[in-house]
This record gives sequence, structure tokens and C-alpha cells, in this order.
Amino acid sequence: MAFLEISSVSKSFGTLPVLSDIDLDIEQGEFVVFVGPSGCGKSTLLRMISGLEDVTSGTISIESEVVNDVEPAQRGTAMVFQSYALYPHMTAFQNVSFGLRMARKPRDFIAGKVEQAAAILQLDKLLGRRPGQLSGGQKQRVAIGRAIVREPRVFLFDEPLSNLDAELRVQMRAELMDLHRRLQTTMIYVTHDQVEAMTLADKMVVMSEGRIQQAGPPLTLYDDPANRFVAGFIGSPKMNFLPARLAAVRADSVQLEGIGGTASAALPLAGIASEAGAIEIGIRPEHLRLVPDGSESDGGLVLDGRVALVEELGAESFVHMDLADGTRIIVRAGRDAARPEHAVRAFIELERALLFGRDGQRIYGRSARRR
Amino acid sequence: MSQNGAGPVSVWKILKWVVALLVAAIAIFPIWWMINVVFALPGEPVSLNPRLWPTSLSAGIANIHMIFAQTEFLRAYGISVAYALLTIAGVLVFGSLAAFEFSLFEFPGRRVLFGFVLLSLMVPSAVTIIPAYLLTSQLGWLNTMQGLVVPGIASAFGLFMLVQFMRAIPKDMIEAARLDGANHFQIYWHVALPLSRNAVVTLAILTFIQTWGNYMWPLIVGSNAEMYTVSQVVGLFNSPLSHHTVDTVMTANLLAAIPPLVFFLIFQRKIIQGIAMSGTKG
Repeated sequence: MAFLEISSVSKSFGTLPVLSDIDLDIEQGEFVVFVGPSGCGKSTLLRMISGLEDVTSGTISIESEVVNDVEPAQRGTAMVFQSYALYPHMTAFQNVSFGLRMARKPRDFIAGKVEQAAAILQLDKLLGRRPGQLSGGQKQRVAIGRAIVREPRVFLFDEPLSNLDAELRVQMRAELMDLHRRLQTTMIYVTHDQVEAMTLADKMVVMSEGRIQQAGPPLTLYDDPANRFVAGFIGSPKMNFLPARLAAVRADSVQLEGIGGTASAALPLAGIASEAGAIEIGIRPEHLRLVPDGSESDGGLVLDGRVALVEELGAESFVHMDLADGTRIIVRAGRDAARPEHAVRAFIELERALLFGRDGQRIYGRSARRR
Repeated sequence: MSQNGAGPVSVWKILKWVVALLVAAIAIFPIWWMINVVFALPGEPVSLNPRLWPTSLSAGIANIHMIFAQTEFLRAYGISVAYALLTIAGVLVFGSLAAFEFSLFEFPGRRVLFGFVLLSLMVPSAVTIIPAYLLTSQLGWLNTMQGLVVPGIASAFGLFMLVQFMRAIPKDMIEAARLDGANHFQIYWHVALPLSRNAVVTLAILTFIQTWGNYMWPLIVGSNAEMYTVSQVVGLFNSPLSHHTVDTVMTANLLAAIPPLVFFLIFQRKIIQGIAMSGTKG
């Protein structure tokens, strides 16, 4: 049995369902990130684990004990809020020690614990200050300190970095990773930022519309998304989706036509169960190669189009290119790879192409995982 | 220049100052006149040519001494102070506890109950004074301190004010306290109440001013002279049948006005500014 087990959990506010049929196993010491667009239910799921929100149906258990009806403070979870939720009338020391004071722990014990947490978070010199006298990053550390002193079984983070500026966010991200490495405690982290999710997670849980779309290691989700939503949500710039028609399904390949308007290709995929019809091809920007207009095909798929705009990032550039049918795709290329308004040609690495059915589900073939 | 508020002097600016000074003068004059009359040579206040400044410190002290020594003023002072402090304590305790529930938690009937509270705000106190008297009388509380204090403790205004203030306390903070293991009362005591300090202080001041100056309820419920509050004693001095001279009446008035004045001077700096938000966002 997993350390933290969420089984068949649903949640609705009145008649409005927000989470349906959530099943998830979290192992001890794992860094799990819930990621998804706003309103997908990720924060609600976190709050249900913390006990701040009731479970409508299903069970949540920690170390084989069902905690559905256990008081939040007794669950052994500690939460860091997006707003930090520090008490403005208390000093950092009083904030960090609040939980221990409520539990009427001895004074020496409290001082020791706070000192320990302060050392981990480099808060030593700030303990006498009130939240109003702290910067965003320092407040964040105090909030984490408040969680640490409780020695929780599970840390819960609800978008803790979203109030920080970009530079500080990167720094705090690194600090969180370091904290996880040192404490080895299970951490569950909610964010809408897929870069944050990719960099932090051992296990990434992509959610949308109250359901888990896919859960697994970040790179697995990146390379092998289960559906169009996950494919499009992870990765920046986003995966390109090209409308196409599945013309014929053979034993060892499929024939695709009307890709981006006119192109056609045979994809070496075997054992596809799907029937002929409209589908989409998903291809990441780095799996497209820009070649001069008129270059000969090397047997792969060739797309002709016009450069709409070029985003120069220094080391590389993202070329936005309009195909014959108006579909816009993004190609990751080197510096000075293309100029706007010029005709260009792109080759697709066909073995990297993913197929999605009309329902958004991935169409798997036997060689789809080949890298 | 203009950052220091010392921009060019305009007509508008002068006009504002003139109006402000006029209003201040009108507000201060009665108090000044009161002091002037108390600290005046005997006979001067009613002379045809009264002065605009105090003329005799010793006469004023003699007046004050006379009031305390020869009338029931000191006892009335004690009653009034007890009445005010107990009412403040009651209003704050009940108001803040109720506001805590109304503003931060959901419970069945919350809206309806709060609607009743707001409704009672719209009923003038003169309408409820007879039922309140009958109830107090049935409890046997006439001429007692509890009869004076208890009916005033349920303050719809106080509750409304504290609810408005506590609504601004971020829910996260309450939830964080819950996760930290604080029980319901501890959340109230350690989080909600300190965060509402400004509102609580303001309500205390307003309650003091109101109870100190309350005339009608003490008059009705405390008919016995031993339960007279300051306002009633001052009323006796002012009554048409009293034989006191003007300076004696003014001394009584001045003594009655001093506590609220002092109270106000101490607390006027307490400006309502939510400290609740300062600890939340970076």
C-alpha cells in the first residue's frame, strides 16, 4: 500500500462537481506536483488532503490510515499557503512557533525547534521581525518554517511561489529542491506553472476539469503524453498540432493525408486500432527541422509554409510558420534561421510524431515509444 | 515643495483654513466658556461684562471641592465609570465573539440571523425602551448595576462594525491556525481578536461615549438616587427648580465632560487601518 493513497475521491460544492474519481498513490519521500490550468481542482485536492475541505466520496489514507474524518491538525500534514498566511501581529519567531505554542509544548523545546528550522531556512537574524518588515522571499521562508517545526509527514504547498518575482522564484525553487533533499519528507506541491512542475517533480500529476489526465515522471509525460491536453500543456513553446486525415491503416504503417493542408506521409506505426478519419499529429518544436525552401525531402514529412514571425532568444530562435491551410506551427531553430515573410520548408522527424484521435486521446502504435 | 504640503498659497487653501478654524472655534467655545465660568471670581459669570478668560483659579478649585464634598457627584462618578466599563467589556466580549462566527464561518441560518441584527439597527431605541424596562423589572433588576448594564450589552451596531472588520481577515490565516492545531477559541483569541484590535478599540471608545452620555436608560431603570449616574446628577443641577448658581452648575457640567474628553485625547490617534492585510502579500 502506498504511503498516501487517494482512492475514488470525488468532491462537489453543492451540485457543482469539482473533482471526480481521483485515484493517486504517493510514495514516502516523493515530491509530487499537481499541475493544471486554474479551476482544474488541484488546490481543492490539496486542501482535501490537508483536511481543510471535506471529501464528498472516496477515501484518503496516510500510512494505511483513512484520514477522511481526522481533524486537519491531527493528520500530520503542514501547509504553506499562496498568501503565506502569516499572522501580521506576531514576530517571525511567534509565527513559526504558533503551532507548538498551541500544543502547549515546553518553552525550551519550542526555542530549540524554532532555532533548528531557522538554521535550515537561514532565518536566524529575522526571527524578531514582523511579517510587515520582511520581503516576499523572507515571508515565504517563515511560512515554510512554520510548517517544518511541526515535523509533518506530508508537506503541502499551495502555489507558494506565485507571489514572488521571476528571479526570486527561481531561487526559491532551488531552495525547495534542496529542502526536499535534506528533509526527505513527502511533499505535495500545487502550481499552474508547468516549468515549476517539470523542474521540481519526482511525479507530476497533470489535472484538467476535475480529473487526473496523467501522472508520472515529468520526462515521461513530456515524451509520452496520454492525451492531447497533457501533450499541449507540458512544454514551452507548446507542442504543434497538425490536422490530418488517416487515409489507410496497414499492418506496419499508416497513411496520413492532408497534413497542414496538402502534405501526406506514411508513418511507420504498427498495430493501430483506430479507423480512418480525422486525426491530429502532435510534434514538438524541437522535432522539426528548418531547411531552405526547395530542399529535397529525405523521405520524411515535408511541410511548406511562410514565416510569420521569429522570436530570437540568443542561443536559439522560435520560428512561427504558417502552413498552407493556415495552421501555425512553431519550429525551434538556431540563431538567424529564418526571416519573416520568407517561404520555408520544415522536415518532421516522423518517429517523434504523436497521433491524437478526435476525442483527444492518444492513438498508440507499437513503435511510438521509439526514440 | 508640494511634497511637503507647502505649495503656493491659493485662495482655496486660505478658504479651507478659515473654515477649519471657524469650525474648531465653534466646537471649542462652549468648553472654553465652561472653564471660564468655573474659574471666575464669584459673581463675574452673570455680570454684564463677563470676561473671556479665567480670572480666579482658587474660585474654580473651591467650586470643584464644593461639588465633590457637598453633593452625590462622586458616587455618581463611580456608578457611571462602572456602568461604562462593564458595558464596554460586555459589548466587546459578546460583539467580538458573535462577529467572529458571523464573519469567518458558515453555519445554517447565518444570513437570516445577521439580517435580524441589521433589522434591529433600524429600530429606534425609544421603541424598545418600554419592553426592555418591563423585562428588567420582571427580572428584579431595577436599581441594580446589572439592570443598568446587561440590556446595553447586545449591541447590534458593535456587532455590525466588528463583522465588517473581521470579514477582511484572510481566510487563509484562519485555516493556517486550524492546521497549526489551534482550537476554535484559540483562533479567536490568538488570531481574529488581535487582528481586529483597531476596530475593537474604536468600538470601546464609541461605547464609552455613548454610555457616559446615556440619560434615558439610567433614568428609567435607576430611579433610586443611589443609582444615579453622572448625567442624571448633572440633570438635577440643571433642573429649573435647582437653586445652584451658574458657576456651580457649570462646574458639574465640566466635571461630567472631563472623562470623555480625556478618553478622546488618549485614543484619537487610533486610526482604523487594517493591519490584517500587511502580512499576507509580498
